[in-house]
Amino acid sequence: MLIALLWYLGAVIFTWALGLFLLWRIEKSGVKRWGATGRLFTYK
Amino acid sequence: MQWYIGAMALYAAFLIWTNVKSLKMAESASDFTAGGHRMGLLLGTGTTTATWVSVASVLGIPAFLYSDGAAAIIGWMAGWIFGGALIPIVGYKIRRPANPARTFPEFVRMRYDMFARRSFLQALIGVVMFIGYLFLVNIQATGFGIVFSSITGVDYKVAIFGFLIFIVITNVGGFWSVATTDTLNAAVIAIGCIAAAVTVLLSTGGLGNILDTLAVTTAPINEGGPALDPGVLLTPTGSFGSAALLSIFISNSLGTPSSPHWVARMLAPMNVKVAVLQIMANVVVLLVIWLPLIVMGLGAKALIPSLPEGVATDYVIPLLLQEHTPVLVAALTLVAICAAAVSTGNSMLLTCSTSLYYDVYLNLFGRTVSDRALKNWLRFIVFVVAVIAVVLAIDPLWFLAMGFTYVYGGFGATFSLTVFLGLYWKRMNRAGAYASIIVGFVAFIIATAADVPVPFVVAVSASAVACLIAVYATKPPPLESYEPFFEAEISESTKVAVERVLKLNPAQQSEAVEVRSV
Repeated sequence: MLIALLWYLGAVIFTWALGLFLLWRIEKSGVKRWGATGRLFTYK
Repeated sequence: MQWYIGAMALYAAFLIWTNVKSLKMAESASDFTAGGHRMGLLLGTGTTTATWVSVASVLGIPAFLYSDGAAAIIGWMAGWIFGGALIPIVGYKIRRPANPARTFPEFVRMRYDMFARRSFLQALIGVVMFIGYLFLVNIQATGFGIVFSSITGVDYKVAIFGFLIFIVITNVGGFWSVATTDTLNAAVIAIGCIAAAVTVLLSTGGLGNILDTLAVTTAPINEGGPALDPGVLLTPTGSFGSAALLSIFISNSLGTPSSPHWVARMLAPMNVKVAVLQIMANVVVLLVIWLPLIVMGLGAKALIPSLPEGVATDYVIPLLLQEHTPVLVAALTLVAICAAAVSTGNSMLLTCSTSLYYDVYLNLFGRTVSDRALKNWLRFIVFVVAVIAVVLAIDPLWFLAMGFTYVYGGFGATFSLTVFLGLYWKRMNRAGAYASIIVGFVAFIIATAADVPVPFVVAVSASAVACLIAVYATKPPPLESYEPFFEAEISESTKVAVERVLKLNPAQQSEAVEVRSV
């Protein structure tokens, strides 16, 4: 049971890690049309 | 029963109200199919959550938790979340162009068949999508029928036709209608699941008691069936076995990001960042729904040790709610399950109908239609496809969650390389796309029919070999076909080519896309 829940939790953490990396790449690109604003979680 | 009927009537009234409101927002054909590429984070998260939480998760996963224990968490929940993690990789590239495609097949045309007057590749994908989504809608209709017949006592074969009424209501306004009702459905689903899980915890005496029961129970799934091994429900692989569980996990995870409706979802956000944030928010919201589902599925085994003979495990949650929860909680949760069926069904029907009419018919026959005619035709096709799906549901084809796994595996085997290599490898070309799609599709069907342990891996491997041979045996693609997905600023020749592709799609000729945030 614990192993199953850890798989699930691991998948959630992986989603966030990958998402943060992509957000950082967007910011690094500086392209406003893609959503770059200077702040990682601000999108307008 | 009047509580159940009353709750369903309230839900129907609520759907009518939200759809009439959202009608005002359905302004153009682009709005109708992809929300005008201007969807904000809140609505995007809501619609994604509701589409994700289908009857396969609300009824199907607790059914497998009941019969196979914790292994279902790895196979389906972790599988889908892992697949969800890969969706932003698609969104990061596919939402880059200033003028993105409106449908998944149109994206494939832009990437691989940019200079064709009529794209057979776009039509081929439209046909494959139609087949896949017909089965997925069929699963939603089956789930709706199970719940509705449990609520009303009406025969299942009649109850499934109630699905049509809700589909007609929710597809009046196209994508915005689907998105708006989806967001509210997500809230209904979350509240219903939490309420039911709390009740199950109170009835069983808590999670500790549930786990203690599962550790020793040998009660068969159905009365008179073979006894379970003690403790098997708490092992990571359950009664599936390692190979079968791995196959389910891979199909659910790797099939998800290349499933056309998830690719299409990545075309709707207002920009790339919203596409990524949407999925990150989504996995958190899903925790609120799926953790209660784990409690319900495992708790059901403690409260109902065995199902009556001949009753499928997909019925376990309706049984649990009716026999072990207060009537108000049961009514709320059963409406939530219907909401899950409707919200996923309407989204898939819209994708299915758009692919058939827009990507096959208009593309191949080069017809010109106004936005208004396009929307009316789509509404009509949505209804016809829904009728076919409901008729097919009269005799359910498979268990709910397993049906999803087959179709997701098929989509993944067919489209994975076309999507991911197309977005991340400039050398990927039209011949590679044709080879990977045809070989992946055929190989998955053969491998599944032959009962190969991991059909997805076999099919994708065959697809990759065929794809690489085709790519290197033919010319590299023109700059215009990949530049919009790789560069922020594109060349003049690419701009002209993209405009040409969009204008070649008759439905877009008269379209004025108004860019505004929501």
